[in-house]
Amino acid sequence: MSYIQWSDDLATGIGVIDSQHKRIIHYINQLEDAQALNEPELVSEVLIHLTDYTLSHFAFEESLMEDAGYVAAAIHVKTHDSFRDKINAYNLRHKAGEDVSKELSKLLNVWLIEHIANDDSSYTPFVLKNIPGINSEKKSGWLTRKLHTFFP
Amino acid sequence: MAHIQWSDDLNTNIAVIDSQHKRIVSYINNLEDVKDKDDRTVEEQVLNELVDYTLSHFAFEESLMEDAGYGFINGHKRVHQLFVKRVSDFMQRFKLGEDITEELLIVLKAWLINHIKSDDNDYVDIVKKNLGNMDARKGDGWLTMSVKKFFA
Repeated sequence: MSYIQWSDDLATGIGVIDSQHKRIIHYINQLEDAQALNEPELVSEVLIHLTDYTLSHFAFEESLMEDAGYVAAAIHVKTHDSFRDKINAYNLRHKAGEDVSKELSKLLNVWLIEHIANDDSSYTPFVLKNIPGINSEKKSGWLTRKLHTFFP
Repeated sequence: MAHIQWSDDLNTNIAVIDSQHKRIVSYINNLEDVKDKDDRTVEEQVLNELVDYTLSHFAFEESLMEDAGYGFINGHKRVHQLFVKRVSDFMQRFKLGEDITEELLIVLKAWLINHIKSDDNDYVDIVKKNLGNMDARKGDGWLTMSVKKFFA
């Protein structure tokens, strides 16, 4: 497999979510490197970072969807749940001494990218519409003020 | 495993937060040191200190975010809650006599580094700006008072 490049079709337009997704992709690429080096300890370390960060990200995202009153939040949470179940199952197998790194990295690679590109785009309009000022924190004050003046 | 070394990419450049993060890192390193001594009383003491301090830090950080009107505070709080739940599961297992320290250390290191570099980084701009305004409005004492409140 080759490196995943961040591209506009992966962007949700919500700054904080995009930067979390970029971080996940960064880990997926690191995993690729670790596997190429054939270093099991490094692979296992990256996998821990990756799964850990992904689970935190899900919690963050679920809270955001709730705040925005996203109608299909429950369905989205179910998708996350099924992913969490898969991760737990791999974790148990790993603890029992099995080498699950290849299978797990394939799942992460395929599932997460698919999820970011398709599922996440469906909640974006709700969040952008219902949580005011969501992207304004980092915009320059002047531009934001001008935009408000001309497009109140 | 090795100690966590503080590096520049862990700085949020909010001095009070950085010093709290450094203190958490030193507790984690402490836990690493006592791990092999096979003294559960000492281990328990370090674990309790670490948990205690981390909870205070979360409360402090959440209050800074709230005060600054950070738009993603609920998501950030949810990520904290998830972590607290995971750590308290570890503590339960410890109390039942299980040896959890090695596993916990892996989780702590992965989580903390991820969280500081990504999630915390997102609130920095708005919190910094707010802290500047606060100082101007309320004098330098405000921050000191807040620190005292959470780390009594």
